[in-house]
Amino acid sequence: MATIHTTVKATTTTRSGAFQRRRSMTSSRIVAWCAIAPAAIALILVVGYPALDGLRLSFSSWVGLGEPEWIGFDNYVQAIGSSEMRTSLLLTMAYAVGSAVIMVALATLLAAAISGGARGSAFYRVVWFLPGVAPATAVAVFWSASFQPGTGSVNAVLGALGLGNDHAWLASQQTAIYPVIGVTVWSGAGFAFLLLLGAMEQIPVSVFEAASIDGASSARKFFSITLPLVRPVLVICLMLEIIWAANGFSVVYAMTQGGPGTATETLPLLIYKQAFSLSNYGLASAMAVISGVILIVIGLVSLRFSRSRQGASW
Amino acid sequence: MITSTLARGARQILMLGWTLLALVPFALIILLAFRNNTDIYRYPLGVGGTYHPENFVTAWSGPVGSAGMGTFLANSIFAFIAALIVNVVLGSVAAYFVTRLPQRVTTIYLGIFVAGTVVPFVLLLVPYYRLLNSLQMLSNPWALGVLYGVLALPTTVLVLNAYFVDFPRELVEAAYIDGLGDLAVFMRVVIPLSKGAITAVSLLLAIWVWSETQLAIVLLQDSGSQTAAVGILGFQGQFTTNLGALFAGLTIIAIPVVALYLVFHRYITKGIALGGVFR
Repeated sequence: MATIHTTVKATTTTRSGAFQRRRSMTSSRIVAWCAIAPAAIALILVVGYPALDGLRLSFSSWVGLGEPEWIGFDNYVQAIGSSEMRTSLLLTMAYAVGSAVIMVALATLLAAAISGGARGSAFYRVVWFLPGVAPATAVAVFWSASFQPGTGSVNAVLGALGLGNDHAWLASQQTAIYPVIGVTVWSGAGFAFLLLLGAMEQIPVSVFEAASIDGASSARKFFSITLPLVRPVLVICLMLEIIWAANGFSVVYAMTQGGPGTATETLPLLIYKQAFSLSNYGLASAMAVISGVILIVIGLVSLRFSRSRQGASW
Repeated sequence: MITSTLARGARQILMLGWTLLALVPFALIILLAFRNNTDIYRYPLGVGGTYHPENFVTAWSGPVGSAGMGTFLANSIFAFIAALIVNVVLGSVAAYFVTRLPQRVTTIYLGIFVAGTVVPFVLLLVPYYRLLNSLQMLSNPWALGVLYGVLALPTTVLVLNAYFVDFPRELVEAAYIDGLGDLAVFMRVVIPLSKGAITAVSLLLAIWVWSETQLAIVLLQDSGSQTAAVGILGFQGQFTTNLGALFAGLTIIAIPVVALYLVFHRYITKGIALGGVFR
């Protein structure tokens, strides 16, 4: 009898304990759900809803006043058919891929140069990222002044080196894109450098030591160990920089405003012009949707690429 | 042996070259800010000429008929304050409490924020213009700041979540045993021990807000409402014959953020290592 009594008592305590714990778990859950809701709602209101609104506008005709009028796929037909859009798309891809490839190649070399713990690597790490924190418009304004023939600092340096001080790259349709790519690389390389340096520092030192014992040169170690092991980060970096450059507005706008003519008019600038100078808001939105879809596809493809390779290399 | 010497030489040249290329433009901006047009044309590298500190006064008050750096800086700071409050309050609460929910919920929730980073700004530009126009909030740096705060939420939530996932569980459990509720644990235990991570995301936000142009150029139309990154574009057009004042403006924009970076670079690097970007 006594035994039974204790057992029953014990069971009840456990039960009520479990009940209390469960109740506090549930209330904890409710608190957590309420706490995560505002951020998600804010994101939906500020990004999700406007994105849908942009999508709707891309199927409408709107000149800035009154209600948008639904016109189906007309904007898309017009966008895809326009030579302006096609030229700009090709230019954007050339600019984005060109900048990103140079940027990531440079960043890889920079990261490799100090990843072995070279003397003063803390100093280089700070200094090399500096161009990345300065406001893009400010550096672009500075550089476009520096590229002026005769009076700009870049031309002064070239003149001092005997290469002539009257290069007017920004004024010529053929060459204006090169200084823009140069400044994009200058301001963006620091970020890629930090990411790649982080990846290189994850590689165990023992791997390099083993290679040294086997007599591998530093170039050999770079190509056979460092590069294959950081490839996933390299691919991600390249993808991010392509997408950022293709979406980039500040550097191009501040340096050339898309000119001379339309020689440097990348998609973000063309869309800006279509919307806010020409009031073709619907057409501009269709162009934005098209460019967004292309960039998302690039992103997904390269993510897939980086993942499958990652599995193979380990 | 010869190749290894060559490789070492190439490495030294690369390191020295990039260090110069990273530093010299900032030195030039500051030097040329003290020169007048004649000197800038004659000595484009800043060596030689006379000092004209009054360029800073001109830049601070702006060209005739337009606002100056003083106003632009204030607007940038207003936008940043609004962005910071929205971003850090919503972001830190969400990033922490989602770790208290089942893994499946966390995955979906973070997925929503990743999806948010995919939407390009150009698509949002026209809808924002329509929205703020109908709310009579065009040319309002505070309203733009609120948008910035939410647009940067993905970065903040993902970075802080990566940090909170590794937050020592024993500390949280101990606080529950001491009888603290969920909110008290968050406010009095988690937040005080996460100052580093919160500093990191705040700095990423500050650098981004300081330089954002694409939205600001559309949504801040009055010159008196513009942030520094947009205001300097106006300077570019209006100070063509007073480059010293343009460079003084560039100095005023670049120095605060560079100083912030030099003091806090560890936090920024850490934020990037946790997956942070400038947005």
